[in-house]
Amino acid sequence: MPIDLFFFLRVLVFPGFVFLLAFSLFCDWFERKVRARMQNRMGPSYTGPMGLLQPIADYIKLLTKEDIIPAQATRLLFTVAPVLAVSLFVFTFYYIPIDGLNIIPNSSFEGDLILVLVLITIAEFTMFLSGWSSTNPYSGIGATRVLTQFLGYDIPLIVFAIGPAFLSGSLSISTIATKQTLPFVALTPWTFILMVITLQAELGKDPFDIPHAETEIVAGYTTEFSGRKLAFIEIAKDIQVVLGAALVTVLFLGGPYGPVLFGSSAVWYTFWFIVKVLAVIFLLEYVGSVAARLRIDQVVRANWRLMMPISLLALALTIVCEPLLGPLIG
Amino acid sequence: MTTAEEAVSLLKNKLGSKVIEFETPKPRRAYVLMKSGYHRDAISLLLEKFDETGVSTITGTDLGSEIELNYHIRCRGPVITIKNRVPKEKPEIMTITDLMPGAALYEREVFDLLGVVFQGHPDLKRLVLSDDWPEGSYPLRKDWDPQILEESVHNPNERSSIVNGGEIEGATSSVVTVVMGPQHPALHEPERFSFKIDGEVVVDVEPRLGYVHRGIEKAAERLMFFQDVYLVERICGICNAAHTVCFSQAVESIGNTETPSRARYLRTIVHELNRIHSHLLLLGVAGLELGYEPLFQYVWRDREPVLDTIEVITGNRILTAFNTIGGVRRDLKPGIPEKIKRTMNRLKKKMKFYKNVFEEDPTVRLRTKEVGILKPSSAKKLCVVGPVARGSGISMDIRRDDAYAAYDEIPFNVVTYKDCDSWARLMVRVEEIVESIDIINYALDHIPGGPYRVKVPRRQPEGEAVSRVEAPRGELIHYVKSDGSAYPYRVKVRSPTLANIISFREIIRGSYVADIPAALISLDPCFSCTDRMTFVDVNNGRKWHWNLSDIKRLKKRS
Repeated sequence: MPIDLFFFLRVLVFPGFVFLLAFSLFCDWFERKVRARMQNRMGPSYTGPMGLLQPIADYIKLLTKEDIIPAQATRLLFTVAPVLAVSLFVFTFYYIPIDGLNIIPNSSFEGDLILVLVLITIAEFTMFLSGWSSTNPYSGIGATRVLTQFLGYDIPLIVFAIGPAFLSGSLSISTIATKQTLPFVALTPWTFILMVITLQAELGKDPFDIPHAETEIVAGYTTEFSGRKLAFIEIAKDIQVVLGAALVTVLFLGGPYGPVLFGSSAVWYTFWFIVKVLAVIFLLEYVGSVAARLRIDQVVRANWRLMMPISLLALALTIVCEPLLGPLIG
Repeated sequence: MTTAEEAVSLLKNKLGSKVIEFETPKPRRAYVLMKSGYHRDAISLLLEKFDETGVSTITGTDLGSEIELNYHIRCRGPVITIKNRVPKEKPEIMTITDLMPGAALYEREVFDLLGVVFQGHPDLKRLVLSDDWPEGSYPLRKDWDPQILEESVHNPNERSSIVNGGEIEGATSSVVTVVMGPQHPALHEPERFSFKIDGEVVVDVEPRLGYVHRGIEKAAERLMFFQDVYLVERICGICNAAHTVCFSQAVESIGNTETPSRARYLRTIVHELNRIHSHLLLLGVAGLELGYEPLFQYVWRDREPVLDTIEVITGNRILTAFNTIGGVRRDLKPGIPEKIKRTMNRLKKKMKFYKNVFEEDPTVRLRTKEVGILKPSSAKKLCVVGPVARGSGISMDIRRDDAYAAYDEIPFNVVTYKDCDSWARLMVRVEEIVESIDIINYALDHIPGGPYRVKVPRRQPEGEAVSRVEAPRGELIHYVKSDGSAYPYRVKVRSPTLANIISFREIIRGSYVADIPAALISLDPCFSCTDRMTFVDVNNGRKWHWNLSDIKRLKKRS
């Protein structure tokens, strides 16, 4: 693809950086609204229509706050980790088709699914580093919890991701998405459900919000962060949620592809992408609303004794069913 | 059930000449003055003879040349007050912590505020006064002068001796000290807990109370009896009705005031509404601590109608200002009982749902079942009270054992669970709300007519009284001593949290960091209740303490 104005527009505005940022903030609002309604509350409602601008207001507020680096902290890591987390998540998004194409068209390649999973892992690791570098007992406990939980759930996540790859016979995300004339959620619902639960743990949402369990370890690994750095961490978390939902969307819900009723297909694909991502986020919030927080030892035990064997069983089931499902795959 | 007479005759028979004098003014109250140093014999005799004997509190009173120590020993129903006097010049007495480990905090409290040294106490240090409180100054002694505080505050040299830095102990071991509080999201009031943590396991905990100490016991001596009702109401916002009922009853008992029957029923109703909203508050907070936010939001929303009901009856949502000496201050307006019943029946239906949530929800069970075990034997030894004791299978409820207000005329069940864990302590509260709703409905149906208060003179005759009520958090005890004037000579309050907090160490040792909030909240700690006196010590309390000048000095250095 030539590097021209169109290229820059795609990378920086749509469906690139500006769109991702706006969409992540919108998803933040959506999450908060859904959670609030499930808890018998209003949720954001003052800033902008229906409180839509509340996340932006929060970030602007954080950007204006004093930025403190603890004297004991490892300065370089403490400063770099939040920025690194955001950039890694944004970069990962470049391999997810949004308006029917990747952000940089034709940049997808055979094996980019593996790259995306690796990038998510590294990005998660920066969260650990940010907590570890701040040398606060709460941050330290939070950081070790991030790592413990993440070591448990990263492997099942990868195993679940292999299912759709196997069915479509490709390790390229856009190929997996285009192959789903009938979404894989209909073909292998078991993998989809397990994937959502695993994602819940990856994203640190209830009942797996152990790394930042407020009543135990204050804000966990973010305890020492303030101002701009905290804003970066928060936005990284927002993008992480959208990325997780987008990954489920492309692997199980047919990605951005859906019926084009009239006009431009890019507009319709973006529309379907947004709808599907929001549906997944709704599902994640729903699961989070009906459970209390688990304990780290319970999570680790549940992972190694339950999730690991189940994930392998689910994969085996997918492989066994492949001859039956084969004709349904486009 | 034992009676006070039985206990006193036992003491007389066995200890004979060691009993100097005694009186049993009420069926369940006895005051026995023992010969100096023989309090231990009396207490061990009671312990031996009566099951469920525990120490409610220890009151120290300055009598001029002597300090009188009142050991309020509860034998389920009756409270036997064992008195002992020590000279003020040399205030020393043998500890009773070897007989009753639950007395440890009470002895520290008396040591802190009156300077009585308990020989043999394993850990005699300050409880409520601040770390920089001047040595040898005991605020509850009658000759204490507040001026001494002014002087010590203006003496910076004395204070800076407290600072000896925050060095990390045992840096080579894997045990880390994590301090929770005075400000922490799991604590709703300032309190400090130092947890020694190995990985995710709690090795030990050291609580430090006293951050909200307001010196209410001292202040109560400077106000008249009827004014003190409003003072004790402010000890704790949540269980304010319990405090006012308890204090009013003590004063009524001194003055032999007969409270009208209607007032006793009205007190019961407000007291139970108070219990319902306190328990709902706690269950909601438990949801929050367990990371179950929707539960928190739902429960607190259902708590609102209860507060509205309290407002309808008393005119206020939280601090009711309803009870007074000789009765209550307002009568029920017509039409209100039906309104209350409607609200109560609606809440009863909701409670079925919440009970189901606490019983069935797998994540709630995972977090509370088998967590924070307090065995019945330790519960007895540590003299815990209220829902904490009932969660360990000990059937003790002041409303039944030492009936006051209208509880002797109202049928109700005492809820106990034998599971001894955090879950049991929460379930006790869930079911008690249902019991309270039934009590309120019964009381509204059977409330007698007649006056709702009698006028009481400002001056009260000379005398003393121990009054107990079942506050939402457990046994609350007030001791009031009058010297015949309009002002009390001594007011002593022991809130349920002080009795229960001692068990926290037992409960939390060996469990996970993540269990701390759930286990702590299952005790329903209320620190403003606990801290109505004062705690702090320079030598053995905190490891370091910074004041403003120290911070400035450090700033200059860096």
